[in-house]
Amino acid sequence: MKLRFVLNGESVEIEVRPDRRVVDLLREDCGLTGTKECCGSGECGGCTILVDGDCRLSCLMLAAQLHGRDVVTIEGLSRNGRLHAVQEAFIEHGAVQCGFCTPGMVLAAVSLLARQPRPSREQIREGLSGNICRCTGYVKIVDAVEAAALKLANGDRR
Amino acid sequence: MTLRHRTLEIGCPVPRVDAAAKVTGEEKYAIDHTPGNMLWAGVRRAGVPHGRLRTVHVEEARALPGVLCVLTAADVPGTNRQGIIHKDQPVLAGDRVRHCGDPVALVLAEDRETLAKALALVVPDIEPLPSVHSPEEALRPDAPAIHDSGNVLLQAVIEKGDASSAFGECDAVVEETFAVPFQEHAFLETQNGIAHREADGKLVMTVSTQAPFRDRFEIAQALGLDPLSIRIISPYLGGGFGGKDGATVQCLLALAAMHAGGRPVRMTWEREESFIAGYKRHAVKMHYRVGAKRDGTLHALECDLYYDTGAYAHLGAEVMELGMEHAGGPYRIPNVRVKGWCVYTNNPIAGAMRGFGVCQTTFAVESVMDMLAAKLTLEPLEFRRKNALRRGDENCAGVTMVHSTGIGACLETLGRHPLWLERRDWRRAAPPFKRRGVGLAAVFNAMGYGRGLPDSAIARLELTLDGRIRIYCGVSDMGQGNSAAFVQIAGGILCQDASRLELILPDTDRTHPSGSSSAGRTTYTFGNALVQACNALKEKLFHRAALVLMLDEEKGLALLPGRVRHLPSGREASFELLARMLPEADRASVGQFIMPVAHDVPDTGKEFVIGFPHVFFAYAAHLARVEVDELTGKIEVTEYLAVTDGGKVINPQGFEQQVHGSVAQGLGYALTEQLLLDRGAILNAGFADYILPTALDVPEIISVAAETFEHTGPFGMKGIGEVGTNGPLPAVANAVNDALGRRLTRSPLTASRVLRAMEEGPAQPVT
Amino acid sequence: MTNVLIPESMEELRRILETHPGARVYAGGTDLLVKMRSGLEAVPPCLVCLERIAELGAVSEYGEVVRIGACVTHTRLLADPVVTEHLPVLVRAVGVLGSRLIRNMGTIGGNVCTASPAGDTLPPLYVLDTELELCGRTGSRIVALRDFIRGPGQTVLGENEILAAVRIRKPRMFNLFHYEKVGQRKGLCCSAVSLAAMLRVSSGGVVEDAALAWGSVGPTVVRSREIERMLIGKELTAERMREAAAEVGKIISPISDVRADAAYRRAVAGNLLLRLAARDGSSR
Repeated sequence: MKLRFVLNGESVEIEVRPDRRVVDLLREDCGLTGTKECCGSGECGGCTILVDGDCRLSCLMLAAQLHGRDVVTIEGLSRNGRLHAVQEAFIEHGAVQCGFCTPGMVLAAVSLLARQPRPSREQIREGLSGNICRCTGYVKIVDAVEAAALKLANGDRR
Repeated sequence: MTLRHRTLEIGCPVPRVDAAAKVTGEEKYAIDHTPGNMLWAGVRRAGVPHGRLRTVHVEEARALPGVLCVLTAADVPGTNRQGIIHKDQPVLAGDRVRHCGDPVALVLAEDRETLAKALALVVPDIEPLPSVHSPEEALRPDAPAIHDSGNVLLQAVIEKGDASSAFGECDAVVEETFAVPFQEHAFLETQNGIAHREADGKLVMTVSTQAPFRDRFEIAQALGLDPLSIRIISPYLGGGFGGKDGATVQCLLALAAMHAGGRPVRMTWEREESFIAGYKRHAVKMHYRVGAKRDGTLHALECDLYYDTGAYAHLGAEVMELGMEHAGGPYRIPNVRVKGWCVYTNNPIAGAMRGFGVCQTTFAVESVMDMLAAKLTLEPLEFRRKNALRRGDENCAGVTMVHSTGIGACLETLGRHPLWLERRDWRRAAPPFKRRGVGLAAVFNAMGYGRGLPDSAIARLELTLDGRIRIYCGVSDMGQGNSAAFVQIAGGILCQDASRLELILPDTDRTHPSGSSSAGRTTYTFGNALVQACNALKEKLFHRAALVLMLDEEKGLALLPGRVRHLPSGREASFELLARMLPEADRASVGQFIMPVAHDVPDTGKEFVIGFPHVFFAYAAHLARVEVDELTGKIEVTEYLAVTDGGKVINPQGFEQQVHGSVAQGLGYALTEQLLLDRGAILNAGFADYILPTALDVPEIISVAAETFEHTGPFGMKGIGEVGTNGPLPAVANAVNDALGRRLTRSPLTASRVLRAMEEGPAQPVT
Repeated sequence: MTNVLIPESMEELRRILETHPGARVYAGGTDLLVKMRSGLEAVPPCLVCLERIAELGAVSEYGEVVRIGACVTHTRLLADPVVTEHLPVLVRAVGVLGSRLIRNMGTIGGNVCTASPAGDTLPPLYVLDTELELCGRTGSRIVALRDFIRGPGQTVLGENEILAAVRIRKPRMFNLFHYEKVGQRKGLCCSAVSLAAMLRVSSGGVVEDAALAWGSVGPTVVRSREIERMLIGKELTAERMREAAAEVGKIISPISDVRADAAYRRAVAGNLLLRLAARDGSSR
């Protein structure tokens, strides 16, 4: 099928099988390897992307579902080379170790803050509970999201 | 980007330089490499735990369009045996399969779909044999022999003094049996890699591996190749934790590449295959007996340890060795007898995992310490402090602690923390239907390989033509941040910020052999080599600058970002200028280091070829506060404190990262993680039923450094990558006992076990 | 290759189902796609995604009845003012269903039709005496939820019939709404035992009416008029709940599986009643 959607701010048109998993479409057909596959069954959040602003599991979405949608992957988060506040906070607060969960975790955090601008630490944990991290023990991820929330609330750049 | 220009001072919490590319998704892991014209390789696995492999029906699969070849054991040149030290694992099973994940055939296909179809068409003809699924079963006289050598990979003893008669001198003795299950590494990037063969026969592989240099030898010996004709590139790993130490996909990939006509081949284990075929933490059963004098002095310890190493050795003997070395805890005990059996079974293969044999014995020893303290009516913290090792003491293996020994400081620091001091009030304030408890664990973990092989690293630095310093990193970074530490070390010594430093990640063609990323050794060993290389480069730059600046002596020179300055005159020589002046060979400096070993090797542990004994240890004291729900038996860890001795901290943020991460894995091990097996078949081979901690399940972890100074380490540090994993299980079990008056001796500490314990009565025997 | 069709109206859906025999419908895909990958479900010739059919995605109020379209995602359900105001027991359950990611994709209709004994929406929907609007070739019909699910994964959905909406009468007669899910961890997990409860408690702390439903302790959700009657007229205290709790084991038929063993489920199913006492503040 001819798939037309917005990917990281740009209109794209791709000839693709309608039943192709979105995670494969992104990683292989679009060459955007930032989105990861870690379990293939929706249990770990490594494949998280934003679709029309909502965080969703790309390993459980089929290409046809993207038609007309606005998709943001980790590669589309920074604008003009400037990192999103969440990305900067992850770096500053040591929330990145092996980094494999990081793209999904960052996008999940971005969408969390868009819906809940001043979450408590417990609410951050709840909001990220679908994203498994095996390296950090989550504490610094929560620190980073808390700090990013503050920055965004203070009107700092996105 | 401001991060790149931050000064890199040793001791400062500098954010990691690798973080930037990881938060943007730019960083390419092995799994992200998909060169054009790529083929896919996969294996068909046995599906039965033990059997005679009569034949493998491959014709239908071979005939499928898009399948290039289907290989079996007959197609494997060389020994068809892989392994790190003990080479007993076939690349493709020959006449026997020994666990459900044993590979029987390799398929090479044009695409993933064809690969899957072809694999489904491969039919192994296996005559099932009786199988054994615990060391107990495997040690029975009538048990089927899994290997020609029998079912015992290694039997060993570590002893000192005279434990059996010493019990007679004790005023209090406790005895108990403990059991811990297989644990899964569950790194998020599964085992995978790509490989291709060049026209001259050289094999080039990019693989998620903790040991690129050793991999070459493992592949070469298995497939009859020249190890130096193999190039392995090791990008950042999406997690390793020991599960990518030793060949996972490597030998299979190499074999596939040899049949691919020069085309690149990819092998990726999806999550289910990662469970079935990947290595595990050993399941262990432990019988413990420990005795002390009335005043609390530990006097005797005996234990029998049964390690289930699964179908093949991997690092089983070494894992058990380390567990045995740590079996007496970080204490002074004059009479010790530790016996261990490392036993083959038809379970999944057990091998290296963070906490390497020690996680298991720590559960037992730290539990019996609490039991003994209770029997003597001594405070658990005071009891531990009284017996804690000090520098100059002999540990339970009989080795003198000549290096930094901070367990006393850790316990002391913990004892001053409000979480300990306010424990009684906290316990009393339990909400309805909750019971509260506080538990401790004193833990340690050796650093390095120990004796028997060189724990060595070689660091190379290069001044590039554009005036930067390039670090050739010989050890893999699986997320622990060692490469960032190396940048910090180089930047700290050479006074350069991150923008002037470059990292070359391990590549056997470009970087130097520096051992595996394991054993908490990399920052220490490679760091020491790097310090040497940095100092040599500094000297060289000063000398060459003196030439350029026409100085009659090499005095008053300082390194500044991008240049050398002669402080008295203020004149400078830029790095670019110096680089252009020097021939290529002169722009490099190389440092090397071998970790010191124990010199007083006790007259015991003779069965161990490698490892025994170790002489450097990281130490920690952990505290867990738990709330147990009376209605459901669920344990919630409400707070966790880890006080860690890692020598001097060169990056507090990096230090905390390791503590948090290891504690989180330890909490998973304590509360929910276990491989559920039914005669060797994994019932929970996926994240739906293998329960990992989420952000809601790990509490706030408070990390405090109790700093000692490790004189042999770079800037006084030693590795803490593993020690934190050992604390949570015993700390939580001790806390649960504090809350309920019931001791759990089997892990994980599931709600079901807790509920049963609450209903049944005092400490139940292991069933 | 499997064709994937995404109709935007019920009419389009009907036409597709007529012309594509063997087509499987899905909304979020968090159950079906997972099962297809693991081999528990065969790969159909055609998949039909319902997520863009507006008629299936609305929450509306008709007097005392709340109608929730089958394709309302769990996230949207949690944010809907009608649902949050009138159906707190459902909100409590959906709030602990899966993870945010799963809730953004999964739907109430999917959870009902998957008919897992552990489905988180089910115990609350059972205590709410939910009715289901099924839409098929010959028109619509209303089926009570308790008659809809026959066993694990089995419903009375006919060929080419889909679940269009759930209809719930506002539970005006109750003033205490409770849901507890017991899983192996706090984050994203399958329930090992769950209890949904609606009580009417007098100002004096006496239970005047009760609706209880247990999940994960039988082939489908378990309700028991007997246990409910045991609560009525009693003070909402742990002691009085203990009597009823002791009887719960008799009305459930839990199994042992990878998540929990039967004995555990049996014990906890009863114990969860005691938590109701804590909800009211008293735990004597």
